[in-house]
Amino acid sequence: MKAPFSPYLLGIRDGLARLIALLERDYDYVSALAADSVGLAVNISQHAKAVRSETMTTERGVVFRVWKDGLYSEYALNEFDPARPEAAYAQIRRALDAQMALLRATGTQVYETPKLPDKPLTLFVEKETEQLPETADVGALVAALTAISDRGMTLYSRVIECMASAQSTHISKLFLSRNRDLSQSYVYSEGTVAAVVMEHGRNQVGYESLSGLGGPELFAGLAEKLDKAVQTAVELLSAESIEPGEYEIITAPEVTGLIAHEAFGHGVEMDMFVKNRALGKDYIDKRVGSEPCTMHEGALCAEDVTSYAFDDEGTLAGDVTEIDRGILRTGICDALSALRLGVEPTGNGKRENFEHKVYTRMTNTVFDSGDSTLEEMIASVQRGYLLEGMESGMEDPKHWGIQCIIKLGREIVDGKLTGRVVAPIIMTGYVPDLLGGISMLSRDRQVFGSGGCGKGHKEWVKVSDGGPYLKTKARLG
Amino acid sequence: MLEQVLELLKGAGVYAWEVTDEKTEGWEFYFIRHALDQNRAKAVEHISVKVYQHIGEASIGAAEAEIHPSATPEEARRLVERLKAQASLAPNRIYTLRGPDAAHAAHRNSAGVDVPSIAKDFLTTLASLPETETEDLNSYEIFVSAVTRRFVNSQGIDVTETYPRSMAEVVVNARSGREEIELYRMYNSGSCDAAGLRRNLERTMAYGRDRLRAAPTPPLGRADVLLSTDDVLAVYRYFAARLDPSMVLRQLSDWKLGVPIAEDVQGDRVTLTALRELPNSSRNRAFDAEGAPIRDLVMLRDGVPEHYLGGRMFSAYMGLEDSFMPGNLAVSGGSRSEAELRQGSWLEPVEFSDFQVDPMTGDIFGEIRLAYWHDGERTVPVSGGSISGNMHALLGELRLSAETVQYDNWRVPALTRLGGVTVTGIES
Repeated sequence: MKAPFSPYLLGIRDGLARLIALLERDYDYVSALAADSVGLAVNISQHAKAVRSETMTTERGVVFRVWKDGLYSEYALNEFDPARPEAAYAQIRRALDAQMALLRATGTQVYETPKLPDKPLTLFVEKETEQLPETADVGALVAALTAISDRGMTLYSRVIECMASAQSTHISKLFLSRNRDLSQSYVYSEGTVAAVVMEHGRNQVGYESLSGLGGPELFAGLAEKLDKAVQTAVELLSAESIEPGEYEIITAPEVTGLIAHEAFGHGVEMDMFVKNRALGKDYIDKRVGSEPCTMHEGALCAEDVTSYAFDDEGTLAGDVTEIDRGILRTGICDALSALRLGVEPTGNGKRENFEHKVYTRMTNTVFDSGDSTLEEMIASVQRGYLLEGMESGMEDPKHWGIQCIIKLGREIVDGKLTGRVVAPIIMTGYVPDLLGGISMLSRDRQVFGSGGCGKGHKEWVKVSDGGPYLKTKARLG
Repeated sequence: MLEQVLELLKGAGVYAWEVTDEKTEGWEFYFIRHALDQNRAKAVEHISVKVYQHIGEASIGAAEAEIHPSATPEEARRLVERLKAQASLAPNRIYTLRGPDAAHAAHRNSAGVDVPSIAKDFLTTLASLPETETEDLNSYEIFVSAVTRRFVNSQGIDVTETYPRSMAEVVVNARSGREEIELYRMYNSGSCDAAGLRRNLERTMAYGRDRLRAAPTPPLGRADVLLSTDDVLAVYRYFAARLDPSMVLRQLSDWKLGVPIAEDVQGDRVTLTALRELPNSSRNRAFDAEGAPIRDLVMLRDGVPEHYLGGRMFSAYMGLEDSFMPGNLAVSGGSRSEAELRQGSWLEPVEFSDFQVDPMTGDIFGEIRLAYWHDGERTVPVSGGSISGNMHALLGELRLSAETVQYDNWRVPALTRLGGVTVTGIES
């Protein structure tokens, strides 16, 4: 079925168009992004069960963007009467005029930016889904997640808690300006199972997740994730500490995705180029990785949680080849940064929600596959680790430093897994060294979208990342 | 819309309900260097509704959703009906919501918030910092909001609080020749603390200068680590999390009331107190998100848990009727001065990529972007490598300075010394 576009947005569309016309009397560019996204979240554990019709991306509201004398200003509201656009017009003018008065009083200078081109475009997209979160069988979902949680408690004697969670969001967004009328509706979903084990007063957690473009039907795959989650938690109980040093490593696809995200995801967000905050600006068309290293970014290059048709500035989704056989070709860009840099936007202008500013943000960030098998890759390692399970990461685009917290490492000696597990692992290094050391990539690849991504320490958005198994060298501690 | 929602809930025939209505008027300013990149404003209202239903004699279920202020009466009615149906699907052990008491009756909402005035303070403060040719601001963002929050429940609580909420994000550059580095800062507060902001950013610029001349961190093996920045909050959040009823009841924390959290303690024993107010905290509230009155209360005294504090459900399960979710927290100063804690050799990381303490496992990690290594005689700035360890093992070797410092909603020792932390240098 098609994910139906929001009736609420259809109902306010004409009112928004009238308000845009009113604002155009005072401003030289006006656009509106209206969102009406609904969702379902069910969280089940042994001690608490919860049902919510909210997820990280549910929202209803409108943000207006205006331009005058080189300055972009925005106003967000969530109470709009389409029959009385004059009231919203007065509200917007009052607030923005008061801000301008303060800016004049403080002698604030403007970072001048050209007017957006507002090229004519009409688009109406309803993507396919089997189910919708707003009409899902919540009772059946609660029962299925409860069964997973209950079964997790039986898999190992030291399991003290087992959580199963599922979230599905039906996104509807409308972008309107004088020349653009874009509508999209799609559904994405994500689920996680996590087991906590305890021994000698110490806890360990193992988790597995799934995500994808689609509705609650995807949750049927959660149950089969449970055994791996429990197994990981149990393995962590007896894991040893790693001896710090530089090792040959093979990264599992989720760790490969974390590297993609931290290394040349944040590092080539081009709003950072505008502020001279990213080293990538100086490395376009230069080598930043080894020959086998190719990386894509864009809402069109995978079908996952952020595979939209247009971004939050009304730019069509893209698929950018960031790194082509080791050479950095381009970054990703929102519309205003593109104007400032004199390049084309790539469809990566995203907001946390309608209340937040647009920044250049990642969508799907993935390494291309190679031609090796995992077995061949393990056989090629003299002394190193197979790294599994991502915890978190942090980048330093100014210096290409990278920090990845990884769940565990499986020791490899003379081409064979020894059965020894080390945990936890902190992988640090210099991005060109890490990517320059890539020597093998597996034929398969996976994409993961169950987490969130911040810019600095705020502005949380959905992203996905992934790739194949990848062999390189890194410093582990 | 709020009054319609309340009427719908009163007639819904459910076990219980809660409504939170939060209205925010916000101003935002974004700068590249000192030029205005964009100005933004917002006026939004979020009405969150939670409905509880009986499921048999001993269980209740709950379902929650936001009812948008633009919803039609019919939409609101349908949503409440859906919540009633969903709430009956997910059974939890029965408990009762909190009802009003003297604190609710005595409460009077404070005066309004002057958003333009606070915004002006931020604008003028950040525009007038003592930048130099080699240290300056790359960019900054200013967020100022007036929030009015009303909480109503079926037990009779109906309280409204108005408060300011501000945040400044600042990126500082420091350069030497062709090399340039950046340092990231995020300051949360009630209104603008101009003096504190200026003091902290001047210190940040000094860190920038030192990072540019930093040597590689030596492979120290195990060393004492000094924490003197707000990164230390990750350590103390671990203590608060271990005293949360939701962690204790689920055995994710094994801390027991009256039982010391660590044996063979060589250093200081931590005292952690929930506070209703701290000067200019962004979290100064009379009531928590579930309407529970917030008061000053010792949670951990000299390393011995005295009170668990947290949300209503798990508190009720543990029989903690007066529990609440603390907004402000304070860790008492220790027995020695900062100067005394700086005796001997130590590593003092002041810039991490991302310093983390896992509240469940106690694992600590952080990649070092700038630290000061003191070998007992001289102090040198170092960079690279990481620190790691586990709080279980470190509790016995924790030393706190007598002097304290405030970071938004936390007051903590100005210096915390962790003994025996693993330090991976970049020469190893």
